[in-house]
Amino acid sequence: MLTERWKNHIVLLDGAMGTVLQQKGLPPGGKPELLALTDPALLLSVHREYVTAGSQILYANTFGASAPKLARTGHTVEEVIPAAVAVAKKAAGSNAAVALDIGPLGELLEPMGTLTFEKAYDYFRQIAVAGAAAGADLAVIETMTDLYEAKAALLAVKENTPLPVFVTMSFEESGRTFTGCTAASMARTLEGLGADAIGLNCSLGPDLLAPLLKELCANTRLPVIAKPNAGLPDPATGLYHMGPEAFAAALAPALDAGVTIFGGCCGTSPAYIAALGKVLAGKRPAARHYDAVSFLCTPTTPCRLDGVRVIGERINPTGKKRFQQALLARDLDYILDVAVQQEDAGADILDVNVGYPGVDEAALLPQVVKKLQSAVGLPLQLDSSDPAALEAGLRVYNGKAAVNSVSGDPAVLARILPIVKKYGAAVVGLTLDQGGVPRTAQERVTIARRILGAALSYGIPREDVWIDCLTLTVSAQQEQAVETLRAVRTVREELGLQTVLGVSNISFGLPDRPLINRTFLVQALGAGLTLPIMDPTRREMMDAVAAFRVLSGEDRDSRAYIARFADAPAQAAAPVAADSLTLADAIVRGLKTDAARLAAAALDDGETPLALVEERLIPALDRIGEDYESGKAFLPQLLSAAGAAQGVFEVIKTAIARTGGQSVKRGRLVLATVQGDIHDIGKNIVKTVLENYGYETIDLGRDVPPQIVADTVQKEHIRLVGLSALMTTTLPAMERTIRLLHTLPEPPVVMVGGAVVTPEYARQMGADYYAKDARQSVDIARKVFPQKNA
Amino acid sequence: MDEHGIRPDIGQALRYLGVREDPEGTMARAVEAEAARLVRAVRPRYVYRLFPIERGRSGVILRGSGVTLPGRLASRMLAQCDQAALLACTLGAGFETMLRAVQVRDMARAVILDACGSALVEAGCDGLERALASRYPGRYLTDRFSPGYGDLPLGVQDAICTALDASRRLGIQVTPSLLMNPSKSVTAVIGLAWEPQPARVRGCEHCSLAGTCTIREGGKSCAD
Repeated sequence: MLTERWKNHIVLLDGAMGTVLQQKGLPPGGKPELLALTDPALLLSVHREYVTAGSQILYANTFGASAPKLARTGHTVEEVIPAAVAVAKKAAGSNAAVALDIGPLGELLEPMGTLTFEKAYDYFRQIAVAGAAAGADLAVIETMTDLYEAKAALLAVKENTPLPVFVTMSFEESGRTFTGCTAASMARTLEGLGADAIGLNCSLGPDLLAPLLKELCANTRLPVIAKPNAGLPDPATGLYHMGPEAFAAALAPALDAGVTIFGGCCGTSPAYIAALGKVLAGKRPAARHYDAVSFLCTPTTPCRLDGVRVIGERINPTGKKRFQQALLARDLDYILDVAVQQEDAGADILDVNVGYPGVDEAALLPQVVKKLQSAVGLPLQLDSSDPAALEAGLRVYNGKAAVNSVSGDPAVLARILPIVKKYGAAVVGLTLDQGGVPRTAQERVTIARRILGAALSYGIPREDVWIDCLTLTVSAQQEQAVETLRAVRTVREELGLQTVLGVSNISFGLPDRPLINRTFLVQALGAGLTLPIMDPTRREMMDAVAAFRVLSGEDRDSRAYIARFADAPAQAAAPVAADSLTLADAIVRGLKTDAARLAAAALDDGETPLALVEERLIPALDRIGEDYESGKAFLPQLLSAAGAAQGVFEVIKTAIARTGGQSVKRGRLVLATVQGDIHDIGKNIVKTVLENYGYETIDLGRDVPPQIVADTVQKEHIRLVGLSALMTTTLPAMERTIRLLHTLPEPPVVMVGGAVVTPEYARQMGADYYAKDARQSVDIARKVFPQKNA
Repeated sequence: MDEHGIRPDIGQALRYLGVREDPEGTMARAVEAEAARLVRAVRPRYVYRLFPIERGRSGVILRGSGVTLPGRLASRMLAQCDQAALLACTLGAGFETMLRAVQVRDMARAVILDACGSALVEAGCDGLERALASRYPGRYLTDRFSPGYGDLPLGVQDAICTALDASRRLGIQVTPSLLMNPSKSVTAVIGLAWEPQPARVRGCEHCSLAGTCTIREGGKSCAD
């Protein structure tokens, strides 16, 4: 059947629509997405030319038929899509299949833009449902540059229609998309999510696409699509440089790389498809060589598990008071900070566990995933036993994640594995079951086999099953350490699976735990452990991993090892003149580590947190603040000092979490970048400085609707609001926000700032204060929140 | 297209940071270090396209582009030109990702990186200008000018990006409030003439920030 031919035959798609329309006289800037309504005959003629040229799948003219793109046309998705699909079907007859063409929404998704993943999904669902109802044979998601957007579209089609789905993305010559996505990340994420064929379209000509197509073919078992441009456009004429024959000749070698679905994008026409048909005539699909490596990724960070990969364990509340406090307070900044420390320390993957009594894990986990992915490049391992939380987390995760964990208990396997399969994740299988932890290595291996069998039965590939043979505490069950190592060896050697162990559990109850941990880590790596879950901020542990990578041959020519220790002496020399340095000096000079150390010492000496802040920290910040005002110090130095103050506050918060003492409160305020404004570094600067003066900020982010500001002010009884605007075009939104705040029963004090705001504008808009910089916002906060004892 | 070997102007980045005096060179060193990290990770990319010019009632029309440039600035700048290049240059999403990652680690470094990014996208435009000049020898280029300069409205941003297909070719989106995302993106116009063109737009009289500019407060200008 035509609609399934693409599964194992060479198939010809069509070429460009826009290019041909322009050749036929559609003016640039015209609305091609409305053509099915405004000039169906023209559209029909183009589709027919492609059928005549040999196209077996026609892309309906729905590329731009999304609600955001149609918003200003006066037409709806439900009008445009059926009309466009109908024209394509009429042209196709029984000679071609018709694809619903789904292009990017034209708005950037979070964290780049402000469009949420969920909202994007809703837009795509609307398109998918309309396309399926109109009788499209399949859906193609194309010209994507953001893997997150492609994921939203793919889920929307798969969850709401029975259509097969192709996904093609656009890459630059660098081998990445505009958002930094690699071909491997794309291939393995989309295959995991259930795409039916994947490939590349647009951006480049066939010659420059060739290496990328090869990489794609190595990273997927799916049919691969190539739909390149006709070379590069000439800046003087806008015309693409390759003719039909040159195009077809340059694309033909992709067949040998494994590509089976061919077409053209910008600059191509029916002549190009006819030329392609000629060079592909009588050819057969080439043999494919899939690289069945275990793999995890974010778009920008592919992580091949072909050596030891360290899983950071610190995003976990167990036994950590400060972390528990942060979870209960929804302090995502703190969790992000823990992630950043582990990334900087050299972790390859981060375990994320936010389960704690009083925490709605299914609501929090997706928020944490988004927060982490906004600033951390590493792939994540979602650690929960709650299927709802896992599903919510995997859904919003950008890339291919891991799930920690299932056990050999059939009920657990039945609950979790379908979710793992649906989102294309890897899964950690714990070698225990309803009967508890088996005492012998052999019994644990038996459970590992059972977990593997169950996973395979759900269609989860073998390389995505990782086995945790369980570390028990050696001081309690001494003989178990050896059993664990024996089980690791067998799972690795006999089953060939990735092996996971939480290393630090081994040493509970013994003195010098780091020594036991490190010794056990090395033994386990020797036995075949590939994925230690450990604290990467422990230098001695990471040193051991680095040494092991040399001895196992993974670290070629010891390059990483040498680089790791090349700067070690510099590290050791850092804490100079430690005894002469005062806390105030450390803050003024922006020495965060020293400031934190001196603050901890002061607290140990019995100084109260309040005195520490009021008598030492604030005066030091004022000193640098005055230098800043007088032009002797500059913004980076002011912020360095604020960073050092942050180190002090972190020490105080940890101490308070431990002892339950009174926290230091100087006042709470709301900060927001106004609606329509998406650049927020200015607001973030103000936040950094205010927080490190001890003010608690509720950061509403950017593009914030007035109502959200007003609601937050009312609900949290806020006395001071800071608003920022960068563009003249968003000043009206600032004014609207202020006006709305003035209608509240207890209107807050409003300060405004940002590139285009002036004292005059501020007055006209009804703001109480104009803050020319972060330093002035502190002065304003002081007026609004007078300190009794300062 | 992208440009190899383009580096941000350190002096310009320092001016963006409001650094007026730096006797010990501490800030310059910090900026240089950040600039070095930036150019290792991010390259400015650009596209441009030439269009013939017509003069209409509503402004200067770039034929076949769908762009009309209203106002005195455009008509003065392009007075002697028969063609104009529309251009867009961006540091792309890579810069935004880097800036987000640095912001959560060290805000001081982040503001330096932000300034270096602004300087780098300008350097990218300079590189594009050089490419344009060498591709069309014998033509004289006007200063480049952008939406938001003088009386050229920000509103033409969208039409310029559409004419250049900047969304598909560079990943630039223009928001309803006319901001460009990624943030380090520039659109501009350069006229091509057959006779030498005087410098016209560099200077505070065309700048919308002139009222609150701290560089001006210090008695200098970013065009110095």
